[in-house]
Amino acid sequence: MKSDDLDQLRELVAFLKENDVAEFDLDRGELKVRLKFASAVVQPAAPVGNAGLDLAAMARLLQAAPAVPAAASAPIAAPVAGAASTPATAPVAEENLHIVKSPMVGTFYESPSPGSAAFVSTGDRIEKGQIVCIVEAMKLMNEIEADAAGEIVKRLVTNGQPVEYGQPLFAIRTA
Amino acid sequence: MVQDNSRQHCLTAYLKENAHLAPAIQGPRDLDPRAIDAALTGTPFAGQMHHFPTIGSTNTHALEQARNGAPHGSFYVADEQTAGRGRGGHHWHSNAGDGLYVSVLLRPQINTSGLIWIPLITGLAAHRAIEKTTGLIADLRWPNDLLMGPRKTGGILVESQLESDRVNAVIIGIGINLHQQSFPPDLATPATSFDLELKKHAVDTTDNIASRQLLLIHLLIALHEELLALNSATTAANIPARISAISTWVKGRSVHVHGPQECTGITAGLDDHGFLQVRTESGLVRITTGGLRDAAG
Repeated sequence: MKSDDLDQLRELVAFLKENDVAEFDLDRGELKVRLKFASAVVQPAAPVGNAGLDLAAMARLLQAAPAVPAAASAPIAAPVAGAASTPATAPVAEENLHIVKSPMVGTFYESPSPGSAAFVSTGDRIEKGQIVCIVEAMKLMNEIEADAAGEIVKRLVTNGQPVEYGQPLFAIRTA
Repeated sequence: MVQDNSRQHCLTAYLKENAHLAPAIQGPRDLDPRAIDAALTGTPFAGQMHHFPTIGSTNTHALEQARNGAPHGSFYVADEQTAGRGRGGHHWHSNAGDGLYVSVLLRPQINTSGLIWIPLITGLAAHRAIEKTTGLIADLRWPNDLLMGPRKTGGILVESQLESDRVNAVIIGIGINLHQQSFPPDLATPATSFDLELKKHAVDTTDNIASRQLLLIHLLIALHEELLALNSATTAANIPARISAISTWVKGRSVHVHGPQECTGITAGLDDHGFLQVRTESGLVRITTGGLRDAAG
């Protein structure tokens, strides 16, 4: 794995944890990544820490996969004796993030032409089918449409950056 | 001026042989929808022409029509574009009837891995159409600029609408210079037209038989053939080799690449996906996005 990839992976992992995403799949042809985090409700008993991920931490994450089905946490939460001890955790765990990926190798553009306004910004509510960016390869300008509706919570690439097939471009909160 | 009698004879013969397809009643720069439809029988383009005397940009219009559900094979021709677009906001110089400005709307049954070939096969189709219409042999500057020697005679811009890996629509925009007699001096790449090139070969162009209509017909037929061939994995695999065979740019040329992957080096052929490889001082670079110029000095 190249150091660029590892940097991107670090950023991605940090972002996913920050947003309590339970599972994540990435398939970029040669590079396949499958991440499963211990449920956010259970909460990091062995946190990765803010010091940043090293290779060992990465390997732990990749191997750990503690097989906690995300769906199981919700029903279990309800019958817990109605105690007042679990207040605001449930809504966070319910968050549903969708990742818009690049359909091809090319260059990412946030706007229709240089100098014009970006198609979307963080915080925007978007519809399914709305154009979120352009990926260009060989003078082929691809308008990328969102394949889910929701709120843009993060752009994962920078304007003019080369992108690979399957690379995450945006995270959308669909709930 | 180069005087080449055999070339002149060859070019004139080409033009005369095709003269029956040029519009007879209307002026030589007009388009005859019935003749065009007849010539396009058997392709998805028959009966699908939309002709505008003037329009902002045929590509912009076609993209709007795609969103409104226009069918596969629709194409939009304009005599004049007031806001013609190229890559990265480059503008295309055009006056009424001097050039062919057409945008083709496709809804192809391909995924994004097939889509990546569209810019290259459009270049191949345009190259063949130009030869059939005028006898002139264009050079292809990767990915798909059409040149006559150092001068640009045509450009291609493909735009698509994608949802995940699904291709909703592809718009192929093509602009080709036919009858311009001069160009502004400040263009990034100097320009030329068929008329200017044919004059170099002492071909009489006063009757304009290198017609826009004929070029349009040959272009759409060639595009149809290329799209059919794209369905076969083996013919798709031949595309890089076919480009290399007709382009002076893809191998052994000292170039400057402009755009997001700016670099300078010697071109080292196309890879299996049609991306250009450039050998730079810091190693071999795979160019996915950008345009080429001859390296200075």
